[in-house]
Amino acid sequence: MNTNSNSFKKILVPLDGSKYSEKALQRACEVLNAFDSKIILLYVVEKSLPINFLDRKVYLEMVRKFGHKTLEKANNVLLKKGITAKIFLKEGNIVKEIGKVIKKEKCDLIIVGNRGLGSVTRFLLGSVSNNLAQSSSCSLLIIK
Amino acid sequence: MAIKIKKILVPLDGSKNSIRGLDMAIHIARQSHGTITALTVKSVPGIYAIHPLGFLDFSSLTEVKKFLNEAKVRAAKKGIQLTGKALAGDPGFDIARFANNKKNKIDLVVIGARGRGSAKEIFLGSVSNYVLHKSKKPVLIVK
Repeated sequence: MNTNSNSFKKILVPLDGSKYSEKALQRACEVLNAFDSKIILLYVVEKSLPINFLDRKVYLEMVRKFGHKTLEKANNVLLKKGITAKIFLKEGNIVKEIGKVIKKEKCDLIIVGNRGLGSVTRFLLGSVSNNLAQSSSCSLLIIK
Repeated sequence: MAIKIKKILVPLDGSKNSIRGLDMAIHIARQSHGTITALTVKSVPGIYAIHPLGFLDFSSLTEVKKFLNEAKVRAAKKGIQLTGKALAGDPGFDIARFANNKKNKIDLVVIGARGRGSAKEIFLGSVSNYVLHKSKKPVLIVK
């Protein structure tokens, strides 16, 4: 076994502000301590939803604000534990953007909660985590 | 070390991907000073699973024993304790049931992304997908 290829150097934690993603963050801290790795926080503003009930610009502004707040909150949690994180805020399709960040930053592991705020297409597993499981190129830890 | 993963379940089917899952589990177990439970489920067509004689398929049991032993040796080289277990039944269902059973006290399931029955699903094996959905414990998918 080659230890280098197996250790998690970079961990990506996609957040969406739900309590599941908070749980994932907690678990990420544990893994971080054990493996001495770097963490990347990501919030993706979902743009592909067809939204008509509000002005699109206003809506996106709201989501962006929420995203910043979520990231800040998560960062504060990490700072208390003495961990510095890289922070990204992207816009577009959630799964695609996560895939892009993985490629760009060469992450080794994604940690997600099993359900988020996304619509529940699958009854037991959130649609985003399911999509990630199917299509991502790196290992995936799903927190239940 | 704050990591609290004491018992790791690794389903094995003898394929390359499951060995990779095992390697990852060994790696994690070393960090957290945990133990590994290797589980092999021999797939048995429905009716035989109910019939007691379905378990007495000696020819494949030796095969199962062989790669459980291989796994044991692999783990022992790294100083990790590994207990092997063999069941007969439906792989996905039995792995999920084993993981959810409170008696087993599993903290993490480490599973290779694809095993033997891979032809149908291009991206994720059907068994790993099933376990992913049904297990109540965290699941690590190794790619």
